[in-house]
Amino acid sequence: MPVKTTATGEPLDAATLRELRAIVGAEHVRHADGDVTPYARDATPLFRARPGAVVHPASTEEVAAVLRLAGARGIPVVPRGAGSNLCSATVPLEGGIVLVLTRLDRILEISAEELLAVSQPGVTSAALADAAAAHGLLYAPDPGSRSVATIGGTVATCAGGLRGLKYGVTRNYVLGLEAVLGTGEVIRTGGRLWKDVAGYDLTRLLTGSEGTLGVITEVTLALLPAPGTAGNGLAYFPTLADAGRAVTRVIAAGIVPATLEFLDARCVDAVEQHARLGLRRDAGALLIFGDDGEPAAVAQRLDRMAELCRDTGAIEVSVAGHAAESEALLAARRCTLPALSRLGSITILEDVGVPRPRIAEMVGHIDDIAGRHEVTIATFGHAGDGNLHPTCVIDKGDDEAAERAHLAFGEIFRTAMRLGGTITGEHGVGAAKLPYLTERLGAAQIDLQRRIKAAFDPAGILNPGKAGS
Amino acid sequence: MTGFTPDLLNRCIACGFCLPACPTYALTKDETSSPRGRIDLMRALDEGILPADDPRVREEAAFCLGCRACETVCPAGVQYGDLLEEWRDQQWQGTGRPLVARLLMILVDARWRVRLLGLLRRHARTRGGPQGPSLMLGCFERALFPKVSRAARRLFPELAAPAAQGCCGALHAHNGDSARGRRMAEELGRRLPGTIVTTSGGCAAHLSSVLGRDRVKELSQYAYERDTPGGDPAETAGRPRIALQDSCHLRNGLDVWREPRAMLERVGTYVELPSAGTCCGAAGTYALVRPRDSRRVLDAKLDEIEAAGVDYVAVVNPGCYRQLDQGLRRRKSRVRAVHLAELLAGERPRRRAQ
Repeated sequence: MPVKTTATGEPLDAATLRELRAIVGAEHVRHADGDVTPYARDATPLFRARPGAVVHPASTEEVAAVLRLAGARGIPVVPRGAGSNLCSATVPLEGGIVLVLTRLDRILEISAEELLAVSQPGVTSAALADAAAAHGLLYAPDPGSRSVATIGGTVATCAGGLRGLKYGVTRNYVLGLEAVLGTGEVIRTGGRLWKDVAGYDLTRLLTGSEGTLGVITEVTLALLPAPGTAGNGLAYFPTLADAGRAVTRVIAAGIVPATLEFLDARCVDAVEQHARLGLRRDAGALLIFGDDGEPAAVAQRLDRMAELCRDTGAIEVSVAGHAAESEALLAARRCTLPALSRLGSITILEDVGVPRPRIAEMVGHIDDIAGRHEVTIATFGHAGDGNLHPTCVIDKGDDEAAERAHLAFGEIFRTAMRLGGTITGEHGVGAAKLPYLTERLGAAQIDLQRRIKAAFDPAGILNPGKAGS
Repeated sequence: MTGFTPDLLNRCIACGFCLPACPTYALTKDETSSPRGRIDLMRALDEGILPADDPRVREEAAFCLGCRACETVCPAGVQYGDLLEEWRDQQWQGTGRPLVARLLMILVDARWRVRLLGLLRRHARTRGGPQGPSLMLGCFERALFPKVSRAARRLFPELAAPAAQGCCGALHAHNGDSARGRRMAEELGRRLPGTIVTTSGGCAAHLSSVLGRDRVKELSQYAYERDTPGGDPAETAGRPRIALQDSCHLRNGLDVWREPRAMLERVGTYVELPSAGTCCGAAGTYALVRPRDSRRVLDAKLDEIEAAGVDYVAVVNPGCYRQLDQGLRRRKSRVRAVHLAELLAGERPRRRAQ
């Protein structure tokens, strides 16, 4: 599987460029080779395609005008936040315009009375969470890339993260959206209400639509009162499957903790090299368990989880002393993927999900598949919600290894589906998972998705070559 | 065909974690002005996708401050500073180098010219070859801020300070001639054979990269290790409130940032600015080569300094000294920029009248 470079980057014609400049201002339309080259990729390895132009709008009206123009001319438009997604959702496979929303970077409102935030799409997830925290509130979605990823991007990909088990994912917090359709029409879905069943739930439809149905220009998000405290513990196990069994026991015991993350030995090693927290490198797997809430309840649940880990054969169990230590642990965990690149120059990260009781079984299958295809696969993931990130590390230019990785992942996806799971838990489909989507959804649903896409984007200009095209 | 070390270039996996750390990305919100975007440009150069004279490639090689803040947040361990040196080695050949940088490099290239720079200024100087540790006088610091080396010598009279020691070569390394920059550091290392103490964080980082970390001590490190006496930390009445501007290469390259804070605690009430660790826009020759961008980077920081209610903002690098001193003067701020060495030596410049 060599790098998928699409032969695009065809410049837009002079008249179109002139009109784009008239809409957003000359300095916010860039089309020279050097300007657009870094927009040929996002954080996904092996996918590249140069756009014809990069446009940075500053308002909903400008977005709408760009889409009207692009629709009339049949020019593809790929909306983009920070480009930190892991499914090539923002690679402009068919060229055209990359529409970057990072200039729309204001938090418009944080309401403690209504427990909500209204934000423009270019605000980072961490900035929004910090602003909420300043009001004593929690923005629960916690993707690993929170310091980089924009709110618009996390909504468009329905990002998950480290708190999925207890708090759910992005879609559980999106109350309302403003979006511009492929036609240039501006719609406002949902609103400020928790209860609102007027019409189809287009908010949920747009959430996770990866820029194929509309461009998100404003987001209303639900907030929660910030928990009193948070704490984490560490348990080392002989194997990742053992850690998986401990997770199943924790949940079977009626505990729904905020954090249940596991990492195999390779991941622990890479994270330790980057963050130097003094993690043990001689165990087969590490489970980070944690919870938040009232201090006494948190302490009690941490103790109970520690006990369950010991009963499941943990080699060593400890509970982090204070909040800063806990946060350092989670911050290091968020860096697992990039830290793994210390093992090789290309990391191909996958994102399968299985029902929780099948985690240990799935981990065993991944090991077996990696062995048969002779590839190095390191696995970490959100064990609490069944979301695993097997990651293959190869060297740049080793096309044979890339091909073997491709075959191994195909098998991993099919195994996950056979166990009742999915091909992507939180990263999205983009171009990377598109070949497996029909297998996951069936022909009737794929067909329906195409018809939905056509209703939102009759000219087919929004992120073509991805879901719904 | 290009001069990038493949291992350095391959390290980046494009996760984008560097974006929020980059001061120029913060200004533009444009991927191409981010560390990840710039590494993409380097790769495009390396693979022949973009020519060396591509205007945007040239622009970005110059627009980057070289502050290396991206390195501290990079989970993959990309050595961006080294990549930037290799990039400028290629882009800034001959007339490709900004004129100001060329002139400055000529100025500091010969020892006698460096000596001339400080001739009329009363910087610290001692006769004879050094026996023990020496004080690096710097090239521009001796001319612009001679009082800094005098303060350092008052603090540490054991430091030899021969005037004919030359320049460390950081200027060359950061402006497209890393080979010459290395050689100059080696020469300086031969001339000052023991421990080299420097009042410049930028020079400390460059010298360390060539001579090894054991040979080089930035002043706050040296003072911290010696447990230099200062005021009584318990005594708070009448103590000045002091903020710090980190030196980027000292902090991001050498991970030295606790020491200057610890030293400031001894002579005043230390106030941490939210942006203490981010670049002030001086960035070596940057403030001269790109004055407008340099000021854009500085402006938010000046707002912060003025809002913090401090008497001084301490610096540990001559470039930051000049940048903050000028910035605060332009605003007619009462806050004074002052080098850590001066504060430790007991100097308390008066607050400017408004």
